[in-house]
Amino acid sequence: MKLRTHLLLLALGIFFPAVGLHAGVPEQGASADASLRSGHPLEALATYRSLLTSPQFATAGSPELWYNRGLAEEKTGDAAAASLSFRRALLLDPGFAPAQRQFAVVLGTLGLPTQNNWQAQVCGTIHPERLIIGGAVVGWIGALALVALFFLARSRKGWIAFALLLLVLGHGVSVFGTLIDPRREAASQAVVTSKNAPTLRATPADNGTAAGTVPPGTLISVLSRNGAWWYVAAGPGQTGWIPSDTVTSLLPTPSASSAKGS
Amino acid sequence: MHPLRRTLFPLVAGFLFLAVEAHAASVSVSAQLSRPQVNFGEMAELQVTVSGAQRADVPQEINAEGLQIRLSGQSTQVQMVNFKVSSSAVYTYVVLPLKTGNFTIPSVTVSADGQQFRTPSLRFSVVDAIATGTVAPGGVAPAVPSPAMPMPPQGLPMPGFQQRPRQAPPQSGAGRLAFGEISCSKKDVYAGEMVPVEIRFYFDARYPVQVRGKVDFGSEGVVIERFPDPKEGLEERDGLTYNVLTFKTLLSAVKPGTIDIPSAKLDSQIQLPGAVPAGFDDPIFRQLLGGQSPFAQNKEVKVQTAPLHLEVLPLPKEGRPASFAGAVGQFDLDALVQNPKPAPGDPVTFTLKIGGKGNFNGMGAPVLTETAGWRSYPPTDKFDNSGSAAGLAYSGVKSFDFTLIAQEAKQSSPGSEFSYFDPTSAKYVTLTTKPLPLDASPVSAASAASTGASSAASPSTQPAPSSGASSEKASPVKDGDPIPGITLRSWSTPLHRAEFLVATLAMLVATAALAGVLYLRDLQARGGTEASRRRRKLTELWSSLHAETLEAAATYDAAVEYAGLVALPSEKRDALIASLSARRDVVKYGSGGSLPVPSSEREQLLQTLKELSNKTAQ
Repeated sequence: MKLRTHLLLLALGIFFPAVGLHAGVPEQGASADASLRSGHPLEALATYRSLLTSPQFATAGSPELWYNRGLAEEKTGDAAAASLSFRRALLLDPGFAPAQRQFAVVLGTLGLPTQNNWQAQVCGTIHPERLIIGGAVVGWIGALALVALFFLARSRKGWIAFALLLLVLGHGVSVFGTLIDPRREAASQAVVTSKNAPTLRATPADNGTAAGTVPPGTLISVLSRNGAWWYVAAGPGQTGWIPSDTVTSLLPTPSASSAKGS
Repeated sequence: MHPLRRTLFPLVAGFLFLAVEAHAASVSVSAQLSRPQVNFGEMAELQVTVSGAQRADVPQEINAEGLQIRLSGQSTQVQMVNFKVSSSAVYTYVVLPLKTGNFTIPSVTVSADGQQFRTPSLRFSVVDAIATGTVAPGGVAPAVPSPAMPMPPQGLPMPGFQQRPRQAPPQSGAGRLAFGEISCSKKDVYAGEMVPVEIRFYFDARYPVQVRGKVDFGSEGVVIERFPDPKEGLEERDGLTYNVLTFKTLLSAVKPGTIDIPSAKLDSQIQLPGAVPAGFDDPIFRQLLGGQSPFAQNKEVKVQTAPLHLEVLPLPKEGRPASFAGAVGQFDLDALVQNPKPAPGDPVTFTLKIGGKGNFNGMGAPVLTETAGWRSYPPTDKFDNSGSAAGLAYSGVKSFDFTLIAQEAKQSSPGSEFSYFDPTSAKYVTLTTKPLPLDASPVSAASAASTGASSAASPSTQPAPSSGASSEKASPVKDGDPIPGITLRSWSTPLHRAEFLVATLAMLVATAALAGVLYLRDLQARGGTEASRRRRKLTELWSSLHAETLEAAATYDAAVEYAGLVALPSEKRDALIASLSARRDVVKYGSGGSLPVPSSEREQLLQTLKELSNKTAQ
């Protein structure tokens, strides 16, 4: 019985992750929402920060909580931090319409262009997780059908061809979903969260040759980390060293959460 | 008496009384030294005050042995206390010691109101601080010859002293090693008005100086901007060359009233050459040490300016516009739409630029007008003072970026209004900008649906999350309000999650297991593999070949079949099969076909077949 329950939960976790990981509505979140509604964004922000650093959010995140936190940060005037929170909300749920809208507003406030590539549009329409898991399920159904037909109904060529198509298409969609999933590269991405645009430098030193500035809210790729300096790419051909305290990793980490309140 | 006369008479009488009082006040003359004792190298001030007269004749120079005393300036003071007017003239002399010792400054003859007056003689001491190890009271530091730039020989004036203009007002730092000055362009300011302040610290250029710490300047009720890096320069004062550190900052008063800001202070360390013991004053010894004296003394000196007195006026309440948000100065206003043709639903960035001079740090944002059909957010601001030479936030351009979202199709931006108080004209000024042309529209229902926003009925509401458990029973949430409910989603792609990998592996195993099961089932249905069937047949044939009761024709049939199965096609096998077939035909169609094969022949047949089988195995 116990084994059966575990297997059932595993299956739920695989195919319906939101259901499997659902944690209800903690009182803390409701309290922060109330503070935000009543015009106390600082108080709400402190609660959201505390909530999002709790152990239950170590491996999973809540798009609603990150969205609400972004609202609180936006209302306190910290547009760069708000952009990070909205990015995180959209990372967890790319089709989260309120976060899409607020994110566009914050980017406009920061003077940054809105994100509008085809991958984002596809992810906004259908969650890549559904593509990956749904594709895998279809692919494996095709594989099983192909095996069964091969041994049991070898003469039914049409059915065998259909099973083969399911196998190829299903796994193809799964691979496609993996490739466009924004979480795939999130581990090596960060957002400029300092209020002033930090300077990219050719060498990891305060007096290194300046190679331009990076506006707050910009999404950057971290190529290498060297203590207090990160080697980053802020755009095509725009690479350089940047002080690590001016940027925050796109994926919240326990250390980042405690050090920068992210 | 005429009423007018009755009124005027007391006034005229009073005025005459005051005039007579003023005139009749007895003339007195006094002399005072700023310090009775100075270190050699320093200077002192001698002030001759003539009370009761606004003008007097005084000598330009006073002769005193060992001292050089010259007139440096004159000032007049008029005071009225209890309607009693008194005037006095103050003549300032600079006393330059030419040698150490005790001196007597002789009495000075002063002519005032046709009379001769004499000041009392004064005692004045000049000490050698290095030799005695004392510092004269009030002295900043002893000015003694340095090895690098020695003082002139005793009895000669300091270089440049003669070039000092005689009528120039006395300088506060005359003859000091270090002193400070402060200048403020205005003494009467409005609350919130930014006033540039310049603080200068002078250090005698002959001695090395190290500045310690930062400028200490400020008071309750005023806001002082941070001090940028000072400007260094050289300036000549009273014949001495001074290194000058000039700090420029901005000052603004917070509340109306009188404010006395204490002196600005700066800690410094001046390196003075010490007394050289006998035997060490050889120039060669000094050259060996790179021109530095090993007996230098470091003197900690706190240099300070005069205090600053300000009268702070309140901003008038009359005529204050509703859009006034604390700006005081002189400004202009400009508007700009950054993206005049945004995509439907995209925000418009509306920038208002305020340029000019004033309190950029204390001003609020301009007010938007004609905002119907727009949703606006609090602006972000940015100040650019790159054009300001001093780098102070006094002059420049401040930009306010408003993010606007069209709630309906719009062809023009909002207007704006900005009010400030101009301290020069003491009036409020209101600037406005007209709406600018643009083309913006709200997000359409179709595009909203494509991004998961299914509620397009009201532009001020938005749906809850597009996915997850909470979205199933979502109720409309006001724009900008927090969304209740918590769904958990992984930060990793399924490919990086253990459960997905385990499931994939499980599916792989299941598929393989299914294939295996079906294959075995198929095999079972077909009686096993061809090899196993062949092996089974060979065993069966071999057994029948050993059967002694088997008919000869059946034995050779079995032998032919066995030979065909046990070996691969070859000439030898084919020859054997042909031979066995011929023998079979003989026994089959000849006599004895129904009899068993004789034992000797059977043995030979088995031996032949065994050899064929062994050769094939090899």
